[in-house]
Amino acid sequence: MGNPNINEQLTLPPSCGGVGGGRRVAFKTLGCRLNQYETDALVTDFDKAGYQLVNFDESPDVVVVNTCTVTNQSDQKSRTVISQAARKNKDAVVVVTGCMANNFKEKLESQDNITFVVENNRKSSVLSLVEAHFSGEILHPEQLPQDVFRYEPVQKSLHTRSAVKIQDGCDNFCTFCIIPMVRGRAVSRPVADVLESVRKTIENGFKEIVITGVNIGRYEDGETRFEDLLAKILDVPGDFRVRISSLEPDGFGDRFVELFQHPKLMPHLHLCLQSGSEKTLLRMRRMYDVGQFRKTINQFRLVDPDFNFTTDIIVGFPGETEEEFQQTIEAVKEFNFSHVHTFKYSVRKGTRAERLENHVPEKIKTARSLQIRELSEENKNLYYRSLIGKTQQVLVEKVSKNKATGYGDLYVPVEFQAKDIQKNTVHTVKLTGLSGEGERLVLVGELVEICV
Amino acid sequence: MMSLIKYDIKIDESFYKVEEIRQLTGETFSLILPKARFAFKAGQHISLGIYGDYQSREYSIYSGINDDHLEVLVKEVNNGYFTPKLRKLKVGDLVEIHGPFGNFGIDAKVAETGKFVFIASGTGIAPFRSLARTYPEIDYTLIHGVRYTTEAYDRNEYPGDRYILCSSRDTKGTYHGRLTGYLKNCTFAAETQFYLCGNSDMIFDALEILKEMGFERDQIHCEVYF
Repeated sequence: MGNPNINEQLTLPPSCGGVGGGRRVAFKTLGCRLNQYETDALVTDFDKAGYQLVNFDESPDVVVVNTCTVTNQSDQKSRTVISQAARKNKDAVVVVTGCMANNFKEKLESQDNITFVVENNRKSSVLSLVEAHFSGEILHPEQLPQDVFRYEPVQKSLHTRSAVKIQDGCDNFCTFCIIPMVRGRAVSRPVADVLESVRKTIENGFKEIVITGVNIGRYEDGETRFEDLLAKILDVPGDFRVRISSLEPDGFGDRFVELFQHPKLMPHLHLCLQSGSEKTLLRMRRMYDVGQFRKTINQFRLVDPDFNFTTDIIVGFPGETEEEFQQTIEAVKEFNFSHVHTFKYSVRKGTRAERLENHVPEKIKTARSLQIRELSEENKNLYYRSLIGKTQQVLVEKVSKNKATGYGDLYVPVEFQAKDIQKNTVHTVKLTGLSGEGERLVLVGELVEICV
Repeated sequence: MMSLIKYDIKIDESFYKVEEIRQLTGETFSLILPKARFAFKAGQHISLGIYGDYQSREYSIYSGINDDHLEVLVKEVNNGYFTPKLRKLKVGDLVEIHGPFGNFGIDAKVAETGKFVFIASGTGIAPFRSLARTYPEIDYTLIHGVRYTTEAYDRNEYPGDRYILCSSRDTKGTYHGRLTGYLKNCTFAAETQFYLCGNSDMIFDALEILKEMGFERDQIHCEVYF
């Protein structure tokens, strides 16, 4: 799963706060885009029920922590957030959900500072649980319905892009991965539900939709595969564009590449390579090799040389030799990923990799992680620089003092000066230079014309 | 008056009683369970848990899709956590099965006309027995790499001209040495589909040999065990 470092509190403008018996709710999300989407949908539920969305330090009556367990670091962050949330809000109802709630259920349930532990498959009913609690009803989380797709389409006011969940769970059983244990088996949301969710999300005013799930490339509803579903989503009428969240680099063919000629589908993919070494990929039990990955990348870049690829890399996987690591370095250089999300391998209990031999010392993992991060920054700089002089359709996310910022079609951050620009509008911007450095590197541009 | 309460009784279909344990070698055995309560494709795997234990492991299905029993092949790992517990199971004990999972296998239509080479190390033979039992008419060659010929599990089930036994530590097999040594000297039809199952080192070496012979990666399908 990609981009697992989202860690943000959501803030609705005061006008969205309702009655809700005067109750206040705070959310904290850790982990992937899917988790973020599920929090957004819960926020929508609570908002509709009249709760006021506040920050942790604004005395909420309810605190919902949507946790992650993909690495040791995620566990530590989740634990820290839970204890902070409970400590700061001693009288609040503390709900812990997300993947850590599945992975450490009994342990979390034994903690006095947590009111409810809700597993992923019941997460969509957190509001019912909280409402029952406040009305004096004794309801155990296990009495909640199990449905991983029961989420409301997200409301307009939270972000400028909204995810639409099409799939959950994974059957790949990569040897390092805990996700099949905490998200369960692969299940696909029925086509009609997905399309309805897309339509409602657009009606809610979103200009950009992110297709999300755990292993979306394996989507299968009857005869409808991932490419078929994507084509149907692109055919939904309306003024919006579509992104695909992280994707496993296997199981799709030429038709998928052709779909990117559709003007609504944005030319960016987060394709999870994990390693540039064939041996390591086999030990990870990945379903592709470097040659197949290369073929995929080349197919896309033949159509669009600027196509933006980002990826996940795990360093220090058990048995990873220096030579194997160097192969990863070479792959990162060759494929020109504009961003590499780097993970130091960490043992997940119950996975096959836990039982592999030759675990890599932490010191070596740290050094390898640093090398990949530095290379990622170089790549990003080169890639962004190559875009100077070109134009991007920028969806504005933030406007401050006549400076608008947002993301272009290629999923590159762009800022430009402009008067009377509104958030959630798309503009043609000519890229003229770079600003900032490292994680804060952005492309600077000039407004060409207002599109929408 | 006595009130009648209607209970919805839901039977958990994921539990299976062990019906038989077939000892194949000193350390390898198969668990024979009731017929699968789910439809599966030959080559797929399941997750297997022991009733009352929190851990589970993935095993390829060893039986064919039309067999009367679901069967898995297990080799006990010395000092392992799970396989010694499997070894202690008795007839009547409960195991928990989830699945089936995976895309390792062949399309039923292609099975009738295709040429297949199955390459297995040790218990990696499991999905190929399932395939051979499911599609008895299939055109295949099974190359099985083991240390000792005693590890040629159920070899009598395969036609003699289809089963190549490569044994590295005794000379009673078809070939004495690692299966990759045998593979290097083979010639295969250009349209052959290769299926590899076993440990990652064997699969890596076999992949290199096959790619060097000019076969496309898309013709080679892998199921990594460890």
